[in-house]
Amino acid sequence: MSSDEQAIRVMVVDDHPMWREAVARDLADAGYDVVATAGDGQEAVRRAPAASAHVVVLDLNLPDLPGVEVCRRLMRHSSPPRVLVLSASGEHADVLEAVKSGATGYLVKSASRAELLDAVRRTAEGDPVFTPGLAGLVLGEYRRLAAAPAPADARTPAAPQLTERETEVLRLVAKGLSYKQIADRLVLSHRTVQNHVQNTLGKLQLHNRVELVRYAIERGLDDGR
Amino acid sequence: MTARGRAGGGFSVEQPLWRAVSAFRLLTLLYAVGTYPRLAGHYQDRTAGWVYLGLLAAWTFATVRPFSSKLRCGWGWLYTDLAAVVAGILLTRVFDSHAGVLQGDPTLPTIRAAGAVLGFAVMGGWLPAAVSGLAVGLADIVEAGGVTASDLHNIVLLMLAGVAIGYVIEVARASELTLARALEIQAVTRERERLARDIHDGVLQVLAMVQRRGSEAGGEAAELGRMAGEQERALRALIAEGLAPNPSYVAPVVRRRSRSGPDAATAGPGADRSDLDRSDLDPSGAGSDGGAAEQDLRSLIAPLAGARVTVSAPGTPVLLPGHAVRELGAAVGAALDNVRRHAGEQAQAWILVEDEPDEVVVSIRDDGPGFDAAARLGEAEREGRLGVSQSIRGRLRDLGGSADLFSAPGQGTEIELRVPRGAAGAAAGTAAVPGPRTAGSPVAGPGTNQPSREGSAG
Repeated sequence: MSSDEQAIRVMVVDDHPMWREAVARDLADAGYDVVATAGDGQEAVRRAPAASAHVVVLDLNLPDLPGVEVCRRLMRHSSPPRVLVLSASGEHADVLEAVKSGATGYLVKSASRAELLDAVRRTAEGDPVFTPGLAGLVLGEYRRLAAAPAPADARTPAAPQLTERETEVLRLVAKGLSYKQIADRLVLSHRTVQNHVQNTLGKLQLHNRVELVRYAIERGLDDGR
Repeated sequence: MTARGRAGGGFSVEQPLWRAVSAFRLLTLLYAVGTYPRLAGHYQDRTAGWVYLGLLAAWTFATVRPFSSKLRCGWGWLYTDLAAVVAGILLTRVFDSHAGVLQGDPTLPTIRAAGAVLGFAVMGGWLPAAVSGLAVGLADIVEAGGVTASDLHNIVLLMLAGVAIGYVIEVARASELTLARALEIQAVTRERERLARDIHDGVLQVLAMVQRRGSEAGGEAAELGRMAGEQERALRALIAEGLAPNPSYVAPVVRRRSRSGPDAATAGPGADRSDLDRSDLDPSGAGSDGGAAEQDLRSLIAPLAGARVTVSAPGTPVLLPGHAVRELGAAVGAALDNVRRHAGEQAQAWILVEDEPDEVVVSIRDDGPGFDAAARLGEAEREGRLGVSQSIRGRLRDLGGSADLFSAPGQGTEIELRVPRGAAGAAAGTAAVPGPRTAGSPVAGPGTNQPSREGSAG
């Protein structure tokens, strides 16, 4: 019932068949086009290019590859999908890593069907899906980066920093306010709040990419000589 | 366990000792045979002496294998060996001339006797070594026909050596067993953790699914779903707690630094305050109270998460001195009670933990109706209804921090708890803090920083 041209193409990656099917069914019922499902990380990475999904709903706890690694590999494609992490585990370090390596949303599995559908729609639109928990993690990550000792050599990129406004917005997200409530409180437009939230993620992901490239170059040079 | 202990001898410190015993028996035999020709002149029955030494040599060479490891050696071999040397000692009296015996000639097996005692020591520890040493000693006394000074000397030395080696082998065996057990426990723990992660993940998935489907089905199923959801959150918090670095790893280091005030921890709030003041004067930060081992604040806050409480925190430990963590945890608990009491049982609450370089901030927000801060707070405080002044504000003041209550219309009520790092004790040890006490007067700082949020609370 779902293959009109406007339908959002979704791929569901979860090692629990029960969950995979339930999520896929919910999405299909709501008019999304579930183009592929995968039960492990290798399969997900293999099938993603052909499926050319707009959104990959990714469980981080997979039997073969860590979910974070799957996310990283998905991001390597020329037109990478947007990744929404849907995780039952409380392993926050993983969630943060996934987000740093390109995932733009995070939802716990206990979220309701409506929340899931909404999150997929927003992810497809390029809107970051923040839970208060994720906002707390991102805030903590910025502070951790800021507190780390200053880089010794000039090639090391400086730690990304949040503007005052971005910090303010992120804190309010972490305290459970909706974008609309935040917009009301700070007298901003809804769109501006969204942009601020998006920027907080963007800077973190950019920093992560720069770090990875630098690491790769260093390793490459070391190996070559 | 016995089988394991025996097999353990194969790779352990025991095996070299057995080899040493085997070598010792051979070398001492050669010594005995080499010594005999020099003494044979004293003997009335030289041939019998040679026959005995021949038999002893045959026995010793024949038993090299049994005596080379614990696996092959049994008590029977040891007793036979002991009997052989004791017989040799006693036969010396028969074969040697009376004059030779009185003159203190060495016995036929000479120091080969010690080989038997060492066998007992390595096999059974110090007690069998002592008993066998005593047996050899008694035989010596019988052979000499009385206690002579040099005999006594040798007997004591023999027993000492036997007991010492027996004791060492017991200690080695015990520590080896401990090590084996530790390795076993480590392996079991690792396997259990791996299993637990898989099981937890499975259980979490099912609980989350029950919650989701239940709440969609409505009615009785919804109640089931709600319960499943609560269990899921509780389990998730538990796992998160288990994965966090154990605070006890941090504790010893910090505790050593701050042992100077052990009595202050038990002396009640009054003493606490004076101790706090003292630590403020002490630039090294070492004079804080005795309960100052650092703890991860998240370990206390995370379990508060539930169906109506969301906890957000950094991914890294938020370290504060133990007493500050406890006080802050209690204050957060009190704030949640407030939410239940004033915003209603159905109200949602969000807790945000922030770890800043110079302070730790915990915010608790609810989605209740809120209030007009300037108008209501003074009245509320007079009535004592909000309870903020007592349990929350008091605790925070004792930590040198502040508690601010404010509300935006339609966005619930928010309480913000701030604990400066320096004032609360020995927080200077964390890497996140560039300088321990850079913020001038940390006790006065936060309160004056927040005038706009104070309302009429001051």
